[in-house]
Amino acid sequence: MIRFLLKGILRDRSRSILPIIIISIGVMLTVALSGYMRGAFGDMIDQNARFSTGHVKIMSKAYAENQDQIPNDLALLGIGEMVEGLQQDYPDVEWVPRIRFGGLLDVPDESGNTRAQGPAAGMALDLLSPSSTEIERMNIDKSIVSGRVPQNPGEAIIGDEFARKLELSLGDVFTYFGTTMEGSMTFKSFTVVGTIRFGSIGMDKGMVIVDVSDAQMMLDMEDGAGEVLGFLKGGVYKDEVAVEMATAFNARYEGDEDEYAPEMFPLKAQNNLEGLLEYGETMSGLFVFIFVLAMSVVLWNTGLLGGLRRYNEFGIRLALGEAKHQIYRSMILEATIIGIIGSIVGTLIGLGLSYYMQVVGIDISEMITESSMIMPTVIRSKITPELFYIGFIPGVLAMVFGNMLAGRGIYKRETAKLFKELEV
Amino acid sequence: MDTQPIISLSDVSKRFPVGDGEFTALKNINLSFQKAEFAGLVGPSGSGKTTLLNIIGSLDSPSEGKAVVMGKSISALSHRESALLRNHHIGFIFQIYNLLPVYTVFENVEFALLLQNRSADERKKAVMEALDWVGLSSMAHKRPDKLSGGEGQRVAIARAMVKRPAILLADEPTANLDAENAHIVLKMMKKLNKELDTTFLFSTHDEKVMKYLDRIVHLRDGKVEEDEIITTQQAAS
Ligand SMILES: Nc1ncnc2c1ncn2[C@@H]1O[C@H](COP(=O)(O)OP(=O)(O)O)[C@@H](O)[C@H]1O
Ligand SMILES: [Mg+2]
Repeated sequence: MIRFLLKGILRDRSRSILPIIIISIGVMLTVALSGYMRGAFGDMIDQNARFSTGHVKIMSKAYAENQDQIPNDLALLGIGEMVEGLQQDYPDVEWVPRIRFGGLLDVPDESGNTRAQGPAAGMALDLLSPSSTEIERMNIDKSIVSGRVPQNPGEAIIGDEFARKLELSLGDVFTYFGTTMEGSMTFKSFTVVGTIRFGSIGMDKGMVIVDVSDAQMMLDMEDGAGEVLGFLKGGVYKDEVAVEMATAFNARYEGDEDEYAPEMFPLKAQNNLEGLLEYGETMSGLFVFIFVLAMSVVLWNTGLLGGLRRYNEFGIRLALGEAKHQIYRSMILEATIIGIIGSIVGTLIGLGLSYYMQVVGIDISEMITESSMIMPTVIRSKITPELFYIGFIPGVLAMVFGNMLAGRGIYKRETAKLFKELEV
Repeated sequence: MDTQPIISLSDVSKRFPVGDGEFTALKNINLSFQKAEFAGLVGPSGSGKTTLLNIIGSLDSPSEGKAVVMGKSISALSHRESALLRNHHIGFIFQIYNLLPVYTVFENVEFALLLQNRSADERKKAVMEALDWVGLSSMAHKRPDKLSGGEGQRVAIARAMVKRPAILLADEPTANLDAENAHIVLKMMKKLNKELDTTFLFSTHDEKVMKYLDRIVHLRDGKVEEDEIITTQQAAS
């Protein structure tokens, strides 16, 4: 019987083409959009992890509470020992200290007077130790626009645009003005050895990158760091692992009244990422829901038209001894077949589009110039396993659901009126 | 007539709702047909022929009275049971719209057997035999739109007969045929009636058909006007 129905579907194109087109378009949109959202959110998480949050991050309780103000007076101390201990406790995680710092960049002219000034968003990471993983993690090599990575103390990389604004060239010297951990004034000179562009608005603004030991010295925080970031080996964020780790770690310091006691935060708990991810998921879910609903209504109507067109066919089949429920069932079966065909076509096209968007991407830097969020300026799709069913299942469901509604007409018709035109 | 009739109608009436009231299409019909009869309901348009055939074919049920077909009371059948009765024991031929246009001649004839879950081999054998009865074996893989009206009606006969039903109901089967094709079709049906002992019941107002009938039931305004048995000598064969 399935063979029989298949023949009907293939030969009577008018029965199948329209629904297949409708389903294909809907499924394609779902797949492509989901792929794009996944790519966007995935990249965003990845960038946040690398640049800011780690997969987990340890800060002192007090530092964490005022993180926005970068309160280095509340930084963690005894970092060397701490990282070593962490490395032992969690061999599957890479631990790296980072210091963020604000301050003023001052560029002197030949006579030592200020030529240009600008607020800096400093970041200190381990650039100089041979075993450092940070250069690769931050993708510094590839993001460098000119020059090179610092190889000696006293060298710095600064944001490409920032450099242009301050008219700083490679080899120039600038002075950093800021406050130490204790709150007294400090300044230190750096030589520009490279300019960089991460392609992330939040990161590139006023960016200054120096080695962590330089920062410790200049901020008077010996063996201290504002943050210790942990990265799961393999580089992929796993929420359950991170949450579990943080919970276990924090349990050790429970009841500790010391505001300098360390606290671990999983990625999601930082930078509003949880809300963002939930927002993304809600939007995807909403889209799929609206799509199923709209498609169902459209397919319901096509199903109704199809039912009218096939009135005589059903009449013959009733006369030949098919019961109404059998005809209904075969309509649903046909709908399923058509739904599957349409969904396969739509999924393939959607995957193709996603692949294209994964390679090419859309540059959104113009749209988000004001944003301080860490997000990539070129958003690319990401093909994940879910894309293979995220449109497929709703596509089939919409077709089946629409036809279940449309097919109810078969139960309403009078068996005795086999043919419509005869009545005219 | 000592055997149980294959179709028996007692006091059958049929009313259709029309507007606020009702229209009586059949009034107190009392008729019975024996196995292997070749009979016709004859009457002008609107006299209730189709309505009566539909009731006998379990596509409709009487408003009053009792219609018993193959020992089953039509009004008591569920949708499933009436479908089963049609599928196994009753063949239909209509004036037009007989064939499913997207399927080949073979597939059209095969359909009834598919519903009976017969094996592919069995189906093939039966279908080819049925097409042979109507002389269309060579057309098996043609689509209905490639057939002439006469050929189409012969395929309809093959499809109705392939399951060897006890009863064949033909609603004005020759109305769209020219004289020559009408005679071909009628001869084939008469032959099958003799060979397979199938009860044939026509509705018609075609003189050509009447010549072949062994019994003519005259209907007028939903009532039996006359039930006329034609002797074997009179009936053409
Ligand atoms: N479903 C129906 N609803 C209302 N009236 C009907 C219906 N079916 C048939 N009739 C009426 O019943 C009468 C008999 O119809 P029918 O059995 O088709 O006549 P015939 O086949 O002899 O031409 C006609 O007047 C027709 O209009
Ligand atoms: Mg009629």
